[in-house]
Order: sequence, then structure tokens, then C-alpha cells
Amino acid sequence: MSPRLRRIGERWLPWTLAWLLLAFLFVPVLVVVPVALTAKDYLSLPTSGISFQHFASLADWHAGWLPSILTSLGIALASSIAATCVAAAFAIGAWVYAGRWPSTLRIILLSPLIVPPIIYAVGMVRLWSKLSLLDSWIGVTIVHVILAMPLAVLAIGASLSNLDPRLVQAARSLGARPPTVFGRVILPNILPGTIAGAILAFIVSWDEITVTLFITSRRLVTLPRKIWTSIADAVDPALAAIATVMLVVTIACLLLRMTVWERLAQRRS
Amino acid sequence: MSSFQRWAFGLTVPAALLTICLYVVPILQVLALSFTEPTFGLGNYVEMFGSAAIGRVVRTTMIVSAVTTVLTIVMSYAVAFALVHMRPAARRVALFMVMVPFWVSVLVRAFAWITILRRNGVLNSALVGSGAIAEPLELVYNQFGVIVGMVHYMMPFAILLLYANLSEIDPRIIQAARSLGARPVTIFTRVWLPLSLPGLAIASLFIVIFSLGFLVTPAILGAGRVLMVAEYISVQISSTLRWGVATALSTTLLLVVGLLVAVAARSPALRAAFEGGRR
Repeated sequence: MSPRLRRIGERWLPWTLAWLLLAFLFVPVLVVVPVALTAKDYLSLPTSGISFQHFASLADWHAGWLPSILTSLGIALASSIAATCVAAAFAIGAWVYAGRWPSTLRIILLSPLIVPPIIYAVGMVRLWSKLSLLDSWIGVTIVHVILAMPLAVLAIGASLSNLDPRLVQAARSLGARPPTVFGRVILPNILPGTIAGAILAFIVSWDEITVTLFITSRRLVTLPRKIWTSIADAVDPALAAIATVMLVVTIACLLLRMTVWERLAQRRS
Repeated sequence: MSSFQRWAFGLTVPAALLTICLYVVPILQVLALSFTEPTFGLGNYVEMFGSAAIGRVVRTTMIVSAVTTVLTIVMSYAVAFALVHMRPAARRVALFMVMVPFWVSVLVRAFAWITILRRNGVLNSALVGSGAIAEPLELVYNQFGVIVGMVHYMMPFAILLLYANLSEIDPRIIQAARSLGARPVTIFTRVWLPLSLPGLAIASLFIVIFSLGFLVTPAILGAGRVLMVAEYISVQISSTLRWGVATALSTTLLLVVGLLVAVAARSPALRAAFEGGRR
């Protein structure tokens, strides 16, 4: 091999390959944007003019998109709050409690991350039909709380592992009672992790589809469920419009997080 | 037990009750049903292992999962390796390109692939329009489409796992190898690759487990023509109501996932990685 060829092989090939693969990840997601702007009423690129009619149809209450967005927001908010409270209580308790019980429980608590959700869906269809909770707010919210807890526990646990245990000793030696120690010493110190946990829990519930698909039918249509049925039924450009909205929100949140992190890093240094 | 410890124990109780009553019990019930529905015994398992249809589903699941895992790991490793070597500015752009698909809903991604790969989709129109091909290619609603969608879904996970693993490798080891006269290819095969084996093993484990039980992407991009285990189970419980077969397949899937985790937990490198997050 000539030195020049070798240099191409060692230096340029890996870089080109990596950026091509990154493009494979990033570019296909963007394709929903031009498709949402088509003037035709079927899925196509906007070759004959740009139109915002499909975005307008999202705002039409009877098209069903707006109600399903509100349903998803409500369920995600409720399950995020509930999951964060239960997860924070567990994480703090497990951090303080000396014994095997928390580490055993932690494995069970985190298992939804590994166990395929379809198995849980089979179990919950049985249980909810017995308790007549199929297609109900409370039924969906409980399932979302269970599925959101693992990430909340991980985020809050990460915050706790940076907490100095001597802080608790100091508070107790100064005569603080247990509720004061938990509520006014530990909790304020793990607030960033708790907020991160709440956001992750919200996202899990907002995106959940596999289990929701089986425990809801006509009454309760979350946004993922609405997207799922629209993909299966027909290929409507309104779908590209909602996908575009979700993509733009995701990108905005990511950029916001990046700038906030840099601000925090600058302040620290 | 001091009152402080009692309080701490009390704080873990709500989470315990919630997961045991509403997660563990429903799943145990799935296991139990596989032996009792419709009649007591191993009938469902006999049926499952004897059925040609289920055999096909299992074979499809295994082929798609294996191909997905190999492709995902090789491609993600190339990206993660480049990420470690990038300048900070380039790395920010690259990580952004990983993070956007990572956080975008799986449904949006599956839908994007449909608009691209369909018969009149973006890719076929472009290829036919440019004269590269005469007839549109069949790119979706077959194994090819499912694998493309699954690799695209899994890659961000794998890249982030592998990148975390690779950035922990001490750069002085690489410097040492270089100063001893090792060529770049040798440094890669004898230093980088062996040191990234634990990360590769964990990433592969996660991708295999996610692939085996994946419902959404195979169902949308396969449209019933590429039937994998999760979709087969979903058909059994929502249309044909064969609960016995559905629960027996679920039990088997859970057993396979459990076995994979158990094997992984025996390897010291993997155990260290799993317990890394624990206090």
C-alpha cells in the first residue's frame, strides 16, 4: 500500500463513514417537515406549492388531534407527579435504610427497563378488565406511573450518590426529627435530580404506546395512540404535520438543555 | 430499629406496594395463565412448539434481532469511535445528531421511514426520477424495511453506551502504544478493541433484549408481513383471543430475556458495569 492510500484509509475513511452514519440517523427524521408542507391531500413532497392546511387541520377539534394532545398532556402530568413523589420517597428511604431490602426492591423497581412491555401489556389487560379499568384515565395513569418510575429512581438516585451522608448526621445531632431530615435537609439537596426525574417520567408517559395500545380503546385516545391508528388506517399528511410539531418541540428542548448546561458549567468554573 | 430507620423503611413502602401489586403480580399472572388457560397443564407449550406458524414467527424474530444487533453494534461503534476523537465543536454537532433521533417519538421515526421507503416514497421517487432505476424498489413492508427502522431506533442507545465506555479509556495507554511504535491499525485492533469489549457486550445485550420484544417498529414497517413475537402476542390477545398461546409465548420471551441477563450478570466485566450505578 502506498503511503498516500494508507493515509486515506486510516484518516479519511473512518471520518467519512462516521459522518455518513450520523446523517443516516439525523436526516430521515427531517423528511416529515417537507411532507407536512405539501399542498396535496396525500403524502408527497411539496412539488406543486407549499401549504399550511395540514397544520390548520391539527387545530380543528373534530379532527381529534387536539383532544388527544390534551389527553396525553393530562396523563403525562399526573403520572409524572405521582411517579416522582413515589420514586423520590423510595430513593431517599433506600439511601438511608441499612439493609438488603432496598437493593432487592430496586431490582424489581427497575425491571420495567428490561422486561419487554408487551408482556406487561398482556398482564394489565387481564387485570384491568377484571377491575373494569380498561379505557379509563385512572387505569392508564397507573400504568404510566409504573413505567415512569425506573427512570425517576435512576435520576434521583444519581443525585443522592453525590450527597454527603455527614449532612444527615449533622442535622440529626442537632436534634432534627426524621421528617425534618427527609423534607428539609435531603430533599432540597437533591432537587436537580428530582426535577430531571420528573421530566424523564413525563417523557416516558407522553411517548408510551405499547401498553396503552391494549388498555385503551375508543374513549381515551392518547396522542401516540392517535398516531398509531392514523398510520395503520390511512396515510394522511396531517400525520406529517403532527410529526413536524413533535420534532420541532424535541429540537427546541434539546437546544434549551444544551444552553442551560453550558450556562451552569460556566457559572461553576 | 431506630425511629429514623423506621421512617426510612416507611418511605420505601409506597413504591414497593405499587410495583408488587401492579407490576409483579400481573406478570406472575401471565406466567400462571400459560399453565391454566384454557385447561390445566402444559398444553399451551405443546401447541407452541408444535405450531408451524409460531415456528415461523420465532425464526423471523431471531433473524431480524440478530441482523439488527450486528448492524447496530458495528455502525454505532464506528460513530462512537469517531466521537471520542472529535474536536469539541464537531462533537457537539455530532452528539446533537444522535440526540434528536434518540428523543423523538418512536412513532414519528417509524412514520418518517414509511414516507421515505414506500413505493411512491421519497427515495423511490428520487431514484426513478433520476433514472437510476426503472421500477420502484420494494423497500418497506418486508424484512429490509423492518431492519432499517430497528437499526435506526437502536443506534442512538448503542452510540451513547459505547461512547461512555470509550471515553473512559485512559488516553495515556494509546500514547504509550504509539510511542512504542505501534501503527494506527495495530493500536485499534490490539488496544482500543480489547478495552471496549465490556461496552460492546453491554450494548449488544441491550439491543438483543430490546429487539426480541419490540412491537412498534416491526408492526408499522412490517405491516403484518414481518410477524415478530411481540406482534404475534398482540394479535392473540386483541383479535383471536387465544390467551393460552399469548401467555405461553410471553412466558418464553420473559424466560429468554431473564437467561440473557443472568448470563451477562455472571461475567465480571458486565457485573461491574451494571453495579457501577449502585452506591
